[in-house]
Amino acid sequence: MKLSLNRELSEIERIVAARRAYFAKHNLPGSLAYTVDLATEELFVNMIRHNNQAREKIILEFEAVDNGISVRLTDREITAFDPASAAPADIATPLEERAVGGLGLHLVRQLVGAVHCERRDDRTTLSFLARKEAAHV
Amino acid sequence: MFEISPAAGGLHLSGRFDAAAAASAEPHFEALSGAAEVNMAALEYISSAGLGVLLKAHKRLAASGAGLRLVEVSPHIAEILHFSGFDMLFEVVPASDPA
Repeated sequence: MKLSLNRELSEIERIVAARRAYFAKHNLPGSLAYTVDLATEELFVNMIRHNNQAREKIILEFEAVDNGISVRLTDREITAFDPASAAPADIATPLEERAVGGLGLHLVRQLVGAVHCERRDDRTTLSFLARKEAAHV
Repeated sequence: MFEISPAAGGLHLSGRFDAAAAASAEPHFEALSGAAEVNMAALEYISSAGLGVLLKAHKRLAASGAGLRLVEVSPHIAEILHFSGFDMLFEVVPASDPA
């Protein structure tokens, strides 16, 4: 399944609708839904915010695989962003010192482990695998 | 779809608290004062954007000695709060088991 997304937060609703339809069609377990929704939203929002000079649509792809679902987000990159280079969130920081942002990639790593980053020409694809046995929520 | 409504002593959340919903939720949290309860019984989903709104309000209220109390929290939302370290920052009250 391939979906072209405008660079707007309102597209999250369309992402969730597409995910629901794909899960139903491929009989994927509901236990993976939260993980896929959250990781997809966090990466999509990062692309919009960090690569904010880009105007082209972001391409979202779902692919059912033996042990779960593979999700890919592809963007024409003007401002390079690699999730692996992002500083880890310190979740043990006391309230008064705790930053309001920076949790998104931390949650993605908690739920899906690594996010793979592939650059080809001026395109960057971020991908992750949500595994049936690793669904936490 | 996300809905937020005033409840006795706080707010009631339902639906999906995602990045698209965060901006509209923020004024409701900014209007809170003192100790407030956030009822999450009907909350299906929260992402880092929703967590950010909770944290910002909690920090503001905690500066005057109060804060947010998260109540009727379902197990999957509780897990996200735990992964975020929010269970160390907020009082989190789980949803009671159905009878």
